[in-house]
Amino acid sequence: MAAPEPPLGLAGLSVRITDLEVRYPVYEEITSTTHNRLGRFRQRRSVDVHAIKGITADFMTGQAIGIIGSNGSGKSTLLRTIAGLQPKSAGSVHVRGEAHLLGVNAALKSELSGFRNVMLGGLAMGLSHDEVHSKMDELVDFSGLGDAMGRPMRTYSSGMRARLTFSIATLRIPEILLIDEALAVGDRSFRAKSLEKIREIQREANSIVMVTHNLNEIRETCTRVLWLDQGRVVADGDVETVLESYESSEVAP
Amino acid sequence: MSADTRQLEDAGLRDVHIPSGLRPYVAAMWSRRSYVWYVARSTLREKQMNSVLGNIWHLLNPLLQIAVYYVIFGVVLEVDRGVDNFITFLAIGTLAFTFCQRSTLSGAGSIVKNLGLIRAVEFPRAVLPFTSTLTETLSMLPSFLVIGVVAVVTGETPSPRWLLLIPVMGLLAIFNLGAALYAARATSVVRDVQQILPFVFRILLYASGVLFSAAEYAEGSYRWFFTLNPVYAFLTVARWTILGSDVSRSLLLSAGTWTVVVTVTGFLWFRAGEASYGRS
Repeated sequence: MAAPEPPLGLAGLSVRITDLEVRYPVYEEITSTTHNRLGRFRQRRSVDVHAIKGITADFMTGQAIGIIGSNGSGKSTLLRTIAGLQPKSAGSVHVRGEAHLLGVNAALKSELSGFRNVMLGGLAMGLSHDEVHSKMDELVDFSGLGDAMGRPMRTYSSGMRARLTFSIATLRIPEILLIDEALAVGDRSFRAKSLEKIREIQREANSIVMVTHNLNEIRETCTRVLWLDQGRVVADGDVETVLESYESSEVAP
Repeated sequence: MSADTRQLEDAGLRDVHIPSGLRPYVAAMWSRRSYVWYVARSTLREKQMNSVLGNIWHLLNPLLQIAVYYVIFGVVLEVDRGVDNFITFLAIGTLAFTFCQRSTLSGAGSIVKNLGLIRAVEFPRAVLPFTSTLTETLSMLPSFLVIGVVAVVTGETPSPRWLLLIPVMGLLAIFNLGAALYAARATSVVRDVQQILPFVFRILLYASGVLFSAAEYAEGSYRWFFTLNPVYAFLTVARWTILGSDVSRSLLLSAGTWTVVVTVTGFLWFRAGEASYGRS
């Protein structure tokens, strides 16, 4: 029997990740170099990707955590696993409240206008008609889309789409907001606005976990950094300390 | 459950990989009821705005459909033997069949057509087949008026029994929802289902006595097949409400049982795939 440990800071705990492992099968296509009568043929084989190899971490309420690491280090997988979208193989993830992934590349209905997409997204998130209406002006103002809100979304540039989706996502703030490269799109002024919005969310005592390659974004927003490499935590701590060692490791091959 | 897990749960945290119970899921769906209405209504409005005759098509479409089938099957092929009022017989058959077919097909597209929304917003995915089924049900309402008009014009005397068509079509709408839930998940697993479904319905069209009376076969050695065919059961019960034609108790039981079984298992099967939607 385990000795009953004092519940250290459980009250302010927002996410607890315990010995998390994630594996998933992917199909790899291998082009055979041997030629037979049918010519080159392709074979497929299933390969197990071990994306997360044992991560343990506690995220506290009010923290904004930046996740950094090279491509394929497991950042996005970790985010999707916290959101419950990616099945785990071992360990566990516990969260307080709702953990929602904010994906900006996602489109809503491209044939509908911006206004209608806001209504659609808001209602799908469980807001009422009136609630979305009352937030509409503020949202249009925030998105900076102006007259474009009345035009079908298919006429939008990718930056405009990003603005709209980010704005819609902030209609209802979940307790834990997971952001995957959300701010990398959009122009500088909108990026500044989104950062401001994220700080506002933080003040409402929710926690934010963001994956980004933009270290300045992390410096401006985050209170803590988690550095992943090949599915493991390399460093976890305050922003400057972790970023410094990350940057120095990037310079060296 | 380990001591740690219990402690976390006591502190108000939950395991994200254990799916939420049925009750929270249904509660989350209920809070999306304005979404379901909004999408159903705006889809219908869009269709109206994109056509010259707009609303009139809701009445014109079923009338034309009945006219075409009447000319082919009633006048040219003369399969109307054994049916007193062939036009009304056709009207009920084709419209109820179309109702089922359209609901199932739009259910099949409900997940794959909304991948953007699924990836952008968290909500119970069963809301999507619910929405597509409601949209189809609303767009079918004028057709049921057409059935009444056709029946009166062809000399049927209105009777209180006609009102029973409403609960019968309500039951069919629930059956359609179950079919839509099945079709939605199946299509999200294998897209080809969307290509196969029209053929399934083409077979059902002939195997359910939509365009000609199948009573002869339904009484013979293929009786079990017709009794077990939910579409045949629904059509026969619906025809009875207007035409007062024969209906056996076993067909009524068949329609009711299919509705409960398909809707309940469809909902559970759809929900079991909840995490998989929008991932491919």
